Amino acid sequence: MVSKKSCLREPLIIRTPEGLYCPKAHAHIDPWRPVDCALITHAHADHARAGSRLYHCALGGEGILKKRLGEHDIQTHVYGEVFILGDVKVSFHPAGHVLGSAQIRVDDGHSVWVVTGDYKRDSDPTCQLFEPVTCDVLITEATFALPIYRWPSMDQVMDRLFSWWDHHVRNHRTPVLLCYSLGKAQRIMAEIGNRSDRSVLVHNAVANLNLEYEQQGIELCQWERATESQKRISTDLIIAPPQVADSAFLKRFRPTELAMASGWMQVRGVRRRSTINQGFVVSDHADWDGLIRTIKDSGASQVYATHGETRVFTRYLNDCLHINAERLETAFGIEAGTDQ
Amino acid sequence: MNFVALFQALDTSQSTNSKRDALIAFIRESDPLESALAVEALTDRTRGKRLKPNALKQTAYLAFGEDRWLFEECYGAVGDLSETLAILFADQDTLPEITQPVLADWIHRQEKLGLLELGELANELLSLLKAFSKDEAFLFLKLSSGGFRVGVNKGLVHDAVAQAVAMDRAIIEERLMGDFIADGDWLHRLQSPVTQDELDARPLPFLLANPLIKTDLNSLDLSTVLVEYKWDGIRAQLIKTRETIRLWSRGDHDITEQFPDIVDAATTLPSQLILDGEILAGRPDHLRSFNDLQTRLNRKRITHNLLKTHPAFFRAYDVLRRDGEDIREKPLIYRKEVLATLAVAQSTVSFPNTPEQIAAMRESAREASAEGIMIKRRESPYVSGRKVGHWWKWKLDPMTADCVLIYAQSGHGRRASLHSDYTLACWTSDGDLVPVAKAYSGLTDAELKTMDRWIRKHTVQKFGPVRQVEPQQVFEIGFEGVTRSTRHKSGIALRFPRILRWRKDVGANDADRLAHFETLMKDSHAV
Repeated sequence: MVSKKSCLREPLIIRTPEGLYCPKAHAHIDPWRPVDCALITHAHADHARAGSRLYHCALGGEGILKKRLGEHDIQTHVYGEVFILGDVKVSFHPAGHVLGSAQIRVDDGHSVWVVTGDYKRDSDPTCQLFEPVTCDVLITEATFALPIYRWPSMDQVMDRLFSWWDHHVRNHRTPVLLCYSLGKAQRIMAEIGNRSDRSVLVHNAVANLNLEYEQQGIELCQWERATESQKRISTDLIIAPPQVADSAFLKRFRPTELAMASGWMQVRGVRRRSTINQGFVVSDHADWDGLIRTIKDSGASQVYATHGETRVFTRYLNDCLHINAERLETAFGIEAGTDQ
Repeated sequence: MNFVALFQALDTSQSTNSKRDALIAFIRESDPLESALAVEALTDRTRGKRLKPNALKQTAYLAFGEDRWLFEECYGAVGDLSETLAILFADQDTLPEITQPVLADWIHRQEKLGLLELGELANELLSLLKAFSKDEAFLFLKLSSGGFRVGVNKGLVHDAVAQAVAMDRAIIEERLMGDFIADGDWLHRLQSPVTQDELDARPLPFLLANPLIKTDLNSLDLSTVLVEYKWDGIRAQLIKTRETIRLWSRGDHDITEQFPDIVDAATTLPSQLILDGEILAGRPDHLRSFNDLQTRLNRKRITHNLLKTHPAFFRAYDVLRRDGEDIREKPLIYRKEVLATLAVAQSTVSFPNTPEQIAAMRESAREASAEGIMIKRRESPYVSGRKVGHWWKWKLDPMTADCVLIYAQSGHGRRASLHSDYTLACWTSDGDLVPVAKAYSGLTDAELKTMDRWIRKHTVQKFGPVRQVEPQQVFEIGFEGVTRSTRHKSGIALRFPRILRWRKDVGANDADRLAHFETLMKDSHAV
């Protein structure tokens, strides 16, 4: 646990115009502008941006990062491995968000700071389970920091998904599941594979990442790339990123029935405001209980919330749990309805 | 199939056809008592609220166990109290039972819950919700608090029932509107043989006008048309059979119950008659605003007092049946002559000679409390639907004003969690902003999203779900009239205000002043 004194020290991580920065390590964490040295929590677009000289990431994340950023100088680290940058010890720890996602721990011998990046506490067959890391100061996400966000079990979701899928196949419509192409798509495909021998057709954006996952030994369900020549109603589920909802890609499978897999689908109005008929509550972010649990597990006496429902979250931590919490504005995060 | 399954089908569909199909399947396949109670709920016939919204909210506070502000945040994000409770307390993991009937049991439970004191209610309700799936909990609460909306209107339900039993829609509507009893025998009763009088009481399809475009006006042979005001009320058919008097609005909605005064006045008319006309507020010699008419709609009971304070009457445009004879094929000029023989308020006709006279008449519409004029071909038969070349409508341009956005609130339903309900203000002579209108639509989805982001960034203060924003954004609103109001701080009420466009080119200081509305009010006659 941290002493009063260490709180008064120079902060180990500060916010600069480029992003979160650890002066003692001369390194940025998930910077949104090109920098000299970037520590990357995971490869989603709001956390990993191209143009920096050197990247550090967790071992499983290198391939995806390369696919996203192109060729860059990337150093990888196994989870838990401690390496020295400047005057501090740095290590990556599983965040359970997507393959190769990490929390980043920074230790200068006086205090320990952890940047969670995006994370979830639920198990996911495509990535290593979140590992609680104790620290003095925790910089956390707060995407779903409202008590209304409580995720159902994957069994329940998959039951619903299968019965929706079968229903529309019976009615001669192609079932289309829209979800983020990195992480969510593979997680759902792995869960399908664990429960059935069903097969899916995937959009190119998903297919390219599938190959990377499979190369790292992650088992997905049977899948095929949806090609131009397939011009018919499909009994296989189509998995595609949300951007294709109104595009020509889906036309060839008409009539289609659209569903979205996202934490935002927890609220009926969010789904009904979109053009999507069905929603499945699947998120790669921590739900309310997961966030609170993580704060408690960390033992941190100071919390910064970077993106999402930071206002509600910090007020709750201060007023109800009596943990010092502040908002820290970053360029992370997303608009409602485009869960990443 | 039970009500939960029906809800899921309705809720995950955006096409009217598939909603109708789901309803038809449900009526055909489900337990008749379940379908009877479902029809009762979906057509808003449920008598009273079994659980008061305030009781639900107090229950929520008690059961939530955390600070109230956190509950309010949840409610604000969800936009619906029942859904908020369902999300917070129901078991997120169970799948709902979708075959066994639920409604009779639910109603029974709700009636029992309604008798409990608050503390007990909270306990009972909480344990009930915990045993429910999310959908079940949501529906249970929605049904208990009355006002259940699931994207199907009464008309669609009547459509589906009619198709499910393969009977005429208007007859089904009449039978459903009558003394509907929600029991297991409802479908049998509904299908009893149709009487002649029931057939006679059905409305005929309305003839609808097309908007007049400039070229129409120039190409019209004025000697072939007549002009009358387009009255600002509810278009309706007044039907008198041998046994009954009915009032139907467009879309085959029986609104007889809402207007006993019009029914009374029609008793002196000959039977076997159908008139097409407009229901208006006030008296023929003293019209009142559409606002006053709205007071008469969607009420469970029309009291004597309401009839006195908000009288309504029927002004006829046309005769479709006279002495049992269908005269729709006869020319309009003939039907107008027939109308003149009847002792009923009717629309005055004029025969202008020049386009200028027509335009002048349109200009005079506001003063006459009309919303524009109708130009009708004298020889036109009364055909059904919006046929070209018979009738044209030429409405007044809406009044407009530039107003400043001061409050924004999340919408409900489709727009929950998007700040889409705007409160707009104008300047008083003292230089304060005073709210004049609440507007819900008129922006594109993209504009709404941009504004939503702006609103979140420029919030000055929050009152529950309402955000007070910096007074910077100006919107041009259109509206059909201004009336004085004692209820509003501004002292005025606008009729049908909607956002016409986002005035990015106008600064808040250049928005309109309250005096602008005073001028508009003076120019129009309506009070």
